[in-house]
Amino acid sequence: MFNWNEREILRYLGHQGQNIPENVGQLMTECRQELEREAAPKSIWRSYPLGVAEAEIDASCFQTTSRNLAHNLKDCDEIILFGATLGSQVDVLLMKYGKLSVSKAVVMQAAAVAMLETYCDEQNEELKAAYLSKERYLRPRFSPGYGDFSLTCQQPIVSALELSKRIGITLTESLLMVPSKSVTAVIGVSRIPQNCQVQGCETCARRDCLYRR
Amino acid sequence: MNQHQNHKILQELQERILFCDGGMGSLLQEHGLKAGELPGNYNMTHPEVLVQIHKEYLAAGADIVLTNTFGVDGLKYNEQTEYSVEQVVQTAVHHVKTAIRESGGQGYTALDIGPTGKLLKPLGDLAFEDACRLFGQVAAAGAEAGADLILIETMSDSYEVKAAVLAAKEHCNLPVFVTVTFDENGKLLTGGSVESVVALLEGLGVDALGINCGLGPVQMKGILAEILRVSSIPVMVNPNAGLPRSEGGKTVYDIDSDEFAAVMKEMTAMGARVVGGCCGTTPEHIRKTVEACRDMKPVPVSKKCRTVVSSFARAVVVEREPVIIGERINPTGKSKFKQALRDHDLEYILREGVTQQDHGAHILDVNVGLPEIDEPSMMEDVVLELQSIIDLPLQIDTSNIAAMERGMRIYNGKPMVNSVNGKQESMAAVFPLVKKYGGVVVALTLDEKGIPETAAGRMKIARKIYDTAAEYGIGPEDILVDALCLTISSDSQGAVTTLETLRRVRDELHGRTVLGVSNISFGLPQREIINAAFFTMAMQSGLNAAIINPNSEAMMRAYYSFRALMDMDPQCVEYIHIYGGQTVSPGQSAVKGQPAGTPLPLAASIEKGLKERAAAAVKELLQEKEPLEIINTEMIPALDRVGKAFEAGTLFLPQLLMSAEAAKAAFAVIKDQMQSTGQVREKKGKIILATVKGDIHDIGKNIVKVLLENYSYEVLDLGKDVPPELIVETAVNGQVPLVGLSALMTTTVPNMEETIKQLRIAAPWVKVMVGGAVLTEEYAKTIDADRYCRDAMASVNYAQEVFSGK
Repeated sequence: MFNWNEREILRYLGHQGQNIPENVGQLMTECRQELEREAAPKSIWRSYPLGVAEAEIDASCFQTTSRNLAHNLKDCDEIILFGATLGSQVDVLLMKYGKLSVSKAVVMQAAAVAMLETYCDEQNEELKAAYLSKERYLRPRFSPGYGDFSLTCQQPIVSALELSKRIGITLTESLLMVPSKSVTAVIGVSRIPQNCQVQGCETCARRDCLYRR
Repeated sequence: MNQHQNHKILQELQERILFCDGGMGSLLQEHGLKAGELPGNYNMTHPEVLVQIHKEYLAAGADIVLTNTFGVDGLKYNEQTEYSVEQVVQTAVHHVKTAIRESGGQGYTALDIGPTGKLLKPLGDLAFEDACRLFGQVAAAGAEAGADLILIETMSDSYEVKAAVLAAKEHCNLPVFVTVTFDENGKLLTGGSVESVVALLEGLGVDALGINCGLGPVQMKGILAEILRVSSIPVMVNPNAGLPRSEGGKTVYDIDSDEFAAVMKEMTAMGARVVGGCCGTTPEHIRKTVEACRDMKPVPVSKKCRTVVSSFARAVVVEREPVIIGERINPTGKSKFKQALRDHDLEYILREGVTQQDHGAHILDVNVGLPEIDEPSMMEDVVLELQSIIDLPLQIDTSNIAAMERGMRIYNGKPMVNSVNGKQESMAAVFPLVKKYGGVVVALTLDEKGIPETAAGRMKIARKIYDTAAEYGIGPEDILVDALCLTISSDSQGAVTTLETLRRVRDELHGRTVLGVSNISFGLPQREIINAAFFTMAMQSGLNAAIINPNSEAMMRAYYSFRALMDMDPQCVEYIHIYGGQTVSPGQSAVKGQPAGTPLPLAASIEKGLKERAAAAVKELLQEKEPLEIINTEMIPALDRVGKAFEAGTLFLPQLLMSAEAAKAAFAVIKDQMQSTGQVREKKGKIILATVKGDIHDIGKNIVKVLLENYSYEVLDLGKDVPPELIVETAVNGQVPLVGLSALMTTTVPNMEETIKQLRIAAPWVKVMVGGAVLTEEYAKTIDADRYCRDAMASVNYAQEVFSGK
């Protein structure tokens, strides 16, 4: 039984407080059950020395310029590269329903995204605890594509983590991750704890997004 | 035909345990390879390092040394890079041969072919034939440079491994060894099981198969046992040095080289014939393994004679328990199906496939034979579609040899093939395909003289087919004898002869059988009664596989009762589960979500998104009203109300879509009704929809399609990853007024911009609407779109604007 966050599934469906009728509830239950059967969550992480000067970031296996990422990595001397996926069987399900039932596809998609985020949060918590025991503190995870953290950093991250060999994440020509329910992120590590951790929607400048928390 | 077997390594493989070398990557890192640097380049920049490492492994006792070409292919080495594939491969082979020569001359050079790092279509963006080309280039270069064998390794996708094996065999004559990477559950990343992978690889004719990487030797033992249970060729094991963990920035393994060697010894005792190591292993690991195993007596490889077909994820074994092959994907006698083929309506075919799967079919027959269509292309398209969403093995059913080959080549697994018969011409055309691509072939017991009237006559042809197949190297386990059913309405001995043939093939030839059961009742009323009875009699006479309609309640009752009666269903658990205490039998789904009291009228069932009720309600209404009246006064207003409620925020997306699908179901009923009276629903206009080049996600586009079709627009769905040129061409050829483009990523929006640019030049009348998670109103303006569609209904609203303005 997976630890589902129903509110997140609804958020990804653009739910704004409407009443949820029985047939939609039934659909959500079916989708959760199918995902529990077919998803095969896997993750991997590796850590590297980090250097940050103004907006210039040197993460050993890639270098980039990003004000937003530099802000996230303030006071960090180490960087964790993190990758996670729900596996390709979830894409098979999405393709199937994408062709046969778009209502189920849309709910399946939302549930899959929620599942991936929950899985990443759980892995993140484990990492946090492991580093805490060494008095080292993690920053919120930050993915290529957020803010001005360039998507082109995907390639070196995928290579450094050997993602295609280890957990089966590949990149298309246009830097889309396949399987689609996959995440790459960097997590800064510091000797200094951060008291107010801002993450997720709160860090994003786009205010008119339908899915904002 | 068996020049292949003359290779020295294959002979040695039969005589003793062979040893592979160990890891290369971490050793190169110790010699200075930096993170992100391509290991293949080291062949050119540090030749002495490569030769030294190869020599260390040879000194440790390795027989097979891998070239440093893992990950080397045309994606990473081409005209844009410093070195070419041929250069890297030749240099790498040269280093191994040099090392062998300088170490006394004993050893085999294995061309190492690893995965491309991309997933194949439709999951990813690499086409199967492009993958074959990439692998072929490497194989050809390696063979030319003098490699002794090809080792395809670390594969975690059955489709990619098929491309690699075919490419290797099409570009050279070298022995092909294959090792795949399973996870701790014994599954490939894309779902393949041990059985499905072994079936695929043995069908393709590889010389040895096994596992490498991903796991340490301890975790591989269980998987090795399973491989040994089902395989009939030598088995290889190349584990990682153990399970890795990070200690002070370095990778450390949970077992040492002594324990590694001890477990390798156990695995050799179990029956592994080629052993070595992968990530983290060193010459020390190999040396200890060689010492431990060198003098062990190899366990003989035994032929398992199993009849197996597979999909990308599953194997179906044809043994004692009868197997159901769903027959519904076949145009014969089905006018709707024929129309779907003419219209290239693959959704119809997909639904037929899924329904049969839901009703218990184990394998799906695929027949798309219609004179007026391009059957080979259609077969390829349909196989690709079905295997992308259904994990059942498929039966490629055609008399068109070109269609058979296209289907077998593109198929992701080991297929069933329908059919070959006793005519020389048929065997000469079909057996080479089965030999090349693998397959279990249905063999019809007829020949140039026609269909024998007696069982003895059919047995004779069966023997001829087995003997001829053997000449091609195809064993009896890959043949299913079709005893042929002649309808009893024209041959009163029809069933008797068939049943006798079934028994005799089972008892005298120890062969396996298949039948197209329904043929027995052709021309008779209430065919199901005869079919179900004959089905039971045939199973009792030893029938192993039955081509039937799994949606038929009568047939499935015969099947499940047979299983329960013949002790194939312990404690009748399955039977009880299906038939216990139910008022509705499988094949009729209960009408879902219906409130108690009077059944809902059509408009309300659309508004509530009740699909089955909507279809039932419209059937009732059609008895009183004309289709067009129903559409205009009941259905469209209901859809409009739902659309408005969605825009107002009183209902949210899943409800909008369930309503759209309820309407779609009702429209399908109306369409059937109209077709039977020769009417056709008028289309309001053509709209092209496409997900742009580089983008492979299409749920949003598919949503828009459902909505637009409900509103009577004719949607030309070009799919995903669509180049601008195709969109332009379609718009021009069809004089299409409106194009809808979807893109998910910032990296693919430029392709949207390019598409619009080209449209403005070649089709200036076209209006363009755009949508997708990454877009905004401002961005849509900058790329010259006519309308930015924020959500699903926006596209319907714009379409109505565009078409009413005309």
